[in-house]
Amino acid sequence: MSDIEHKPEDSIPFFPDHVRTEFYVVLGVLAVTLIIGIIALFKPVGLGEPADPLNTPLHVKPEWYFLALYQILKKIPPMVLGIQGKIIGVALPIILVGLILAWPFIDHKPDKSRKIYRYRMAFVILAVLIIIALTIWGEVS
Amino acid sequence: MRYISLKRFGMLIMLVIALGLFIFVTTHAQANSPSTPDKSNAAGSPNWALAELVSGSQLLVVTPPSPTQDTCLSCHVLGQNKGIWTPLARWLLFGGLGLVFAFGVYRSANTWVTRSPWRSVTSRAAGWVDDRYQVSEPLTKVLKKPVPKYALRWFYCLGGITAFLFVVQGITGILLAFYYKPTPDAAYASIQYIESQVYFGSAIRAIHHWCANGMIVICVAHMLRVFIMGAYKRPRELNWVSGVLLLVLTLVFGFTGYLLPWDQRAFWATTVGSEIAGAIPAIGNLALVLLRVGWNVTGETLSRFYGLHVIVVPLATVSFMFAHFLMIRRQGIAKPL
Repeated sequence: MSDIEHKPEDSIPFFPDHVRTEFYVVLGVLAVTLIIGIIALFKPVGLGEPADPLNTPLHVKPEWYFLALYQILKKIPPMVLGIQGKIIGVALPIILVGLILAWPFIDHKPDKSRKIYRYRMAFVILAVLIIIALTIWGEVS
Repeated sequence: MRYISLKRFGMLIMLVIALGLFIFVTTHAQANSPSTPDKSNAAGSPNWALAELVSGSQLLVVTPPSPTQDTCLSCHVLGQNKGIWTPLARWLLFGGLGLVFAFGVYRSANTWVTRSPWRSVTSRAAGWVDDRYQVSEPLTKVLKKPVPKYALRWFYCLGGITAFLFVVQGITGILLAFYYKPTPDAAYASIQYIESQVYFGSAIRAIHHWCANGMIVICVAHMLRVFIMGAYKRPRELNWVSGVLLLVLTLVFGFTGYLLPWDQRAFWATTVGSEIAGAIPAIGNLALVLLRVGWNVTGETLSRFYGLHVIVVPLATVSFMFAHFLMIRRQGIAKPL
């Protein structure tokens, strides 16, 4: 808890200084949303065909942020090591989320040096690249 | 004999009377309502007999003004765009001038009566509140809390952007909910109506759509920042946990919101998505039935997803966000090495 106290010279007050910077960020995001809105006045998001429960389309795809997961699910063979592939495909994201949730309790030793940032950065880049590749694969297949 | 004191006895009698009244009223109401529903009146049409009874009272009936007098706010709502701007501008201009004039009169009179210089309205209001609730001292403490300078680098604002995008989603979502109808017959048409008829409807929908995607991207970016810098370590473990749950809730927002347009993509993506939930060992079928409200994706599913999307998930998100922010305030922003 020692890093809560800050010396006056290396800190700024929350109000008004920090609030002001946050306000500028908010203004920037607001500008982006307004641009989106203005573009949409000429080119709306649009809709597909109305839902028809009797007519299954050829390519069913979830939103892009589930696409990587969906691609894994699709490509898992029906039987792996005597367990149904379907079950593995479902268990995988649950285990993954559980792992992420429990991560602070697994990696609980305090960081020694900045070097560890590099390793984590490399891991993150690798993971993101894999997810992007899976997403693109899911998008084109 | 202490247990049969007069007080307790009286309370018991009150309870019995209340119960009797309740039973009487409910059974009486049952007796009055038609036991077999009238078939001609069954399909959700209003109870005209009751409406007539109510409209007998002059107070409860709204009579629209004659067309010559109608400044036509309703036209605006119905998309006829007839004469809304002139009365609105008139109200704003003259109303504003009137308020300024009234304030000037009050200020002059007040200075005259009290024989003292005028104190601004804001300082009066602040003084009034502080006089009663003594907030200025704790509020100053909250507002002057020092923020470390390293927290001003750009990658520290990702969490704040996510929170702001959530606010944007809330506002645009409320605006969309005014026009959206969560039934299989009307959902698709109501979104077409929003896109083509409602003023700025397509803009609002596009902002809701794209900011939802942006929120997921920025939320993940925030999580990766925290991960890379090891900001999840002791004492901030629970902050990480609540953050991951917030990300999951954001994804649930995406999943439930995707069905609402009720087009082919939405319908089949939900079908596949809930089928995946159905593959969970042991509780799969239960999860599937709970998600779909039955074995198939129907109008009930749409209602359920709508309820989840606009009530349950937002409430959960707001409470987790509150916890998240509170913990940040309490523990400060993690110091990088």
